[in-house]
Amino acid sequence: MNQSNTEHILASFEEALRESRNSVLRMASVAQQNLEHAITGLLSRNSELCNQAIADDDEVNSYEKSIDGEGLKTLMRFSPVATDLRQVLAAMKIANNLERISDEAGSIARRARKIGKQAEVAETRMMEPLYEMAAELLRDGIRAYAESDVSLAMSLYELDQKLDKAHRKTIKELTKAMEQDPENLKVYLHLIFVVRCLERIGDHAVNIGEESVFVESATDIRHVGADALKEFSSE
Amino acid sequence: MNLTSLLPIAMQKETIKSSAQQDESVGAEVSVSADVAESPAGRPDYIKVCDFSFNYVPAVRVLHNITMEIPERQVTAFIGPSGCGKTTLLRNFNRMNDLIDGVSHEGKIYVNDQDIYDRNLEVISLRKRIGMVFQKSNPFPKSIYENVIYSLRVSGQKKKAILDETVERSLKSAALWEETKDRLHDSALGLSGGQMQRLCIARAIANRPEILLMDEPCSALDPIATAKIEELITELKENFTVVIVTHNMQQATRVSDRAAYFYLGKLVEMDDTTKLFSNPEQKETEDYISGRFG
Repeated sequence: MNQSNTEHILASFEEALRESRNSVLRMASVAQQNLEHAITGLLSRNSELCNQAIADDDEVNSYEKSIDGEGLKTLMRFSPVATDLRQVLAAMKIANNLERISDEAGSIARRARKIGKQAEVAETRMMEPLYEMAAELLRDGIRAYAESDVSLAMSLYELDQKLDKAHRKTIKELTKAMEQDPENLKVYLHLIFVVRCLERIGDHAVNIGEESVFVESATDIRHVGADALKEFSSE
Repeated sequence: MNLTSLLPIAMQKETIKSSAQQDESVGAEVSVSADVAESPAGRPDYIKVCDFSFNYVPAVRVLHNITMEIPERQVTAFIGPSGCGKTTLLRNFNRMNDLIDGVSHEGKIYVNDQDIYDRNLEVISLRKRIGMVFQKSNPFPKSIYENVIYSLRVSGQKKKAILDETVERSLKSAALWEETKDRLHDSALGLSGGQMQRLCIARAIANRPEILLMDEPCSALDPIATAKIEELITELKENFTVVIVTHNMQQATRVSDRAAYFYLGKLVEMDDTTKLFSNPEQKETEDYISGRFG
């Protein structure tokens, strides 16, 4: 690692990089909150929280556009290189992942509103452990970015595998429930989509971790396979 | 980290296909010396600098133990703050520094495996093999035609066919033929700044050198003229080994294959340009290229 903690000669460049990082962190906090509202709305059958999660998605969308716009401006004005360039690119890509996460939260909230109008089924509780894993992945992905923590980013793969496994298992159980309780088929179907949204959120969180690794180590660990990842982790 | 499979895409060495490859007429116009033509493919090192130190006066050492290899027919950029020694090293390649009183050196510089400080080497013959373009264009107060063939005239060439062929070939290689073919006998001083600099490049390559040294060739030019010279550099590397000193980081990333960062007379780091500008090994390099220097 040869990254510098020396400030740029151009204070405006330093400020642009700092602001882009801060905007990503603010955006992440709104996306996290939207997810929390959506799941709480689902579990507590609270349509107000669901509405809030859907409405607040607009804020996340605005953040994405603003981070992209500022990133473009930074590329144009300062022609960053090395770590600075990776930081600008990562901010834009992380913003894109956060926007998708918030979209997934919005989808969960929409499903939750519909589920809330139907009879309550015990299987709704199955979403809780999946949400916890997805939320942890998101939290750690953001922390890895904020604290430049490569090992934390690398640890996301393991947790994401657990989430994938839980996702497959839950879908199996929900399919079984559909067969046993066809009256509530619609609810189970909505829940299957919720499970899928949570699994996608895990994937986006992993993407955020990968971008953090790219910023810190200039290494692209996307799609490299398990062996190469293992080798990288041991470096 | 030694994981080639994990190297970022930006660090993967790009093969820059110059427009000279697309326009074979340009490449065909410039033939290369027998030595270069016989060099095996794979870009062997053409200039080798071995533990080279240089002093302007005995007490002032401006280059410290430089060791580097410059590959054949690629563009190598020297970057670094003012006074770091990049121009001094460049001017050693054709022994221009010999003209300054009191200079001395240690170590060796080889051009195509020939020691350029060999006592038996004629400096004039070395300089014929190495063309040089300076920061400020310096056309002679003569016609465009006479500027290009100046070195041939000095060496006694009188055959009009050869002179005409040289003018056309050199101006085409310097991407100036179309603009000047109808006014070859007009004064070179009537050209624009960018055209004058391209004329100087045409003059530098008229004698079919092996190496082209460029010392901030675009620093006095506007963006359009700069773009034309940069495009030209990319074309020229098909036939010449180019070494360019530049203060413009973006220019270094655009035109060079290899880049070397100098500081206080020392070579801090030399690497593929994409690697040096995306993930330099040394913190000092990162500080300089990202504008944190000082």
